[in-house]
Amino acid sequence: MAAVRLKNVVKRFGGFQIIHGANIEVDDGEFVVFVGPSGCGKSTLLRMIAGLEDISGGEIAIGGKVVNDVEPADRGIAMVFQSYALYPHMSVEQNLSFGLRMNGNPKADTERRVNRAAEILRIAELMKRRPRQLSGGQRQRVAIGRAIVREPQVFLFDEPLSNLDAELRVQMRVEISRLHKELGVTMIYVTHDQTEAMTLADRIVVLNAGNIEQIGAPLDLYDDPANRFVAGFVGSPKMNFMAAKVVGNDGGAVTVELANHCGAKLRKPLSGAPPAVGSEVVLGVRPEHFFEAGEGDCDIAIKADVAEHLGSVSYVYASAGASAGASAGPNPGQEELIIEREASRQRANGDHMVVSIKAGRSLLFDKSGARIR
Amino acid sequence: MRYQNATAYRFLAPYLLIFSIFWLWPIISSFLISFQATRTVPWRFAPTFNWGRLIGDPAFFNALKNTLLILVIQVPVMITLAIVMAVLLNSPLLKARGLFRFAFFAPVVVGEVAYSAVFRLMFNLDYGIINKLLNSVGLPRIDWFSNVTPAMGVIMIAVTWRWAGYNAIILLAGLQSIPQDVYEAATLDRVSKFKQFFYITLPLLKPIIVFCAVLSIIGTMQLFTEPFLITERGGPGGGTETLGLLLYRQGFRSLNFGYASAIAYTMAGLAIAISLVQLWLTRDPK
Repeated sequence: MAAVRLKNVVKRFGGFQIIHGANIEVDDGEFVVFVGPSGCGKSTLLRMIAGLEDISGGEIAIGGKVVNDVEPADRGIAMVFQSYALYPHMSVEQNLSFGLRMNGNPKADTERRVNRAAEILRIAELMKRRPRQLSGGQRQRVAIGRAIVREPQVFLFDEPLSNLDAELRVQMRVEISRLHKELGVTMIYVTHDQTEAMTLADRIVVLNAGNIEQIGAPLDLYDDPANRFVAGFVGSPKMNFMAAKVVGNDGGAVTVELANHCGAKLRKPLSGAPPAVGSEVVLGVRPEHFFEAGEGDCDIAIKADVAEHLGSVSYVYASAGASAGASAGPNPGQEELIIEREASRQRANGDHMVVSIKAGRSLLFDKSGARIR
Repeated sequence: MRYQNATAYRFLAPYLLIFSIFWLWPIISSFLISFQATRTVPWRFAPTFNWGRLIGDPAFFNALKNTLLILVIQVPVMITLAIVMAVLLNSPLLKARGLFRFAFFAPVVVGEVAYSAVFRLMFNLDYGIINKLLNSVGLPRIDWFSNVTPAMGVIMIAVTWRWAGYNAIILLAGLQSIPQDVYEAATLDRVSKFKQFFYITLPLLKPIIVFCAVLSIIGTMQLFTEPFLITERGGPGGGTETLGLLLYRQGFRSLNFGYASAIAYTMAGLAIAISLVQLWLTRDPK
């Protein structure tokens, strides 16, 4: 087991910088997930920890030892690849033992490690099969098994579940969680799927365009995002963002007018410096934080375009509806909102509804996306 | 026949017609001719005339021996060389990869007569660059075309020069289809580049290597141009005569089409048999 420390890590490809000074501390035994959209640099960061990519600047330490110039095999890490990277011409058993055999590990110890991995992952009956004779889930187990036999200090996972179907993904997610508990080893996991990040991580690192946007526990990121990017990325369906304008400031709170909702107004208490009256802001509300009319601090009228019924809940995809009593905004009907409701067969396309927003269940962002607290 | 099928066959008809006249009919016809005595007019059916002669003909066995000798020496050397070239071409360290790829492939598109003439000049006893190079390092010059062993060497060198690059390009395509992350996994497993080549690259490249080997076996069994042009019709004294050349000599110089057809079928049969053995030996264990 080992802690991993990234200090001002920079990566350049030619003249193009793709990681801009990453600082991350992963504690011993912690499960940290790097999450972000495609091309944000999360896989590159993982490959730099593994030693498969050179480091253009900064320092990476594993177990207190700087490993910038240490060979990948000597870093005490094991990696599970997105495409499994199994040796196609070898049996499962040979795949698991290949590295150990090539390095002259004693036969008895190799057997012990392979059997232990097979037992942990319940793949003992597959040992004689070739990768092409396995299902996607079984291949992924073998890939994880190959990492286990190395008995590493740190496990690295590079989008390991993205080639699996939805049901298998959920199952493997639970398996990986179980594995982490059983082995107690530091794990760093890369994914673009925020659900995977939320369910697996002790802490999440949210990346965007080579920058770390926020590091925190899953629910901290969900409840208290640092900026609009994190607020939009964490949570599914994603947070709704509504254009608004500051129309009043009474010291501890600002009043914002929702531009696309017929001038509906919300008074939002703030703890920090309030934005100037007249400035444009963005109000963020999660789909599950819309309440019945009159229950919140500000009612808005909407028209349901599409209703998705998932059984336990329904999602209403809505646009700004007709008059809610106030003057018309600049672009009525331009914003699409996703609203979570208790499952109801009655909601259908074209329904007019009034929903309510609570000041305490909404977030305010300035035009650049920074949070206004 | 369903309408769609009929349409497909109508489109195929021009090809099938030409194939039938210029491919299928000669194949059938030569098979039938191999059972006829063609030294007499009119030709007569005599099943053992050509096939019986084949079994006891020293010229045939000489040509067979030469062909197999080239096969067992030149093909493995060429395939090994092609693998080395393909690995070098695939190296990320290599600059101007496109240029090298073209250079390796170029011999295939050079005219056979031109390349044969150049090889004859290069290996010329008095003026050839090869003998000049040997002399310059203190070695005696070699009379390449008057002795069987050196003449055979020239044939093998020429064929290797012509086809190694071609095979390297095919192998390169195979190399590039091996996923990079398999090598990365091996690197993390502390497997050296050398071991990666023998334990990962070669096994995964095996189907392509077998493909190249089978193509080369078929090509070598039909070898004609080099012994015809470089060593002047299989010289010295039939020392480099191959089955292809014997076929040509029997068919188009002696006009003994029956015997030439029997030789042709023997060549084809041997090529198929050797290729099948090769495929069987290198099959994937279940």
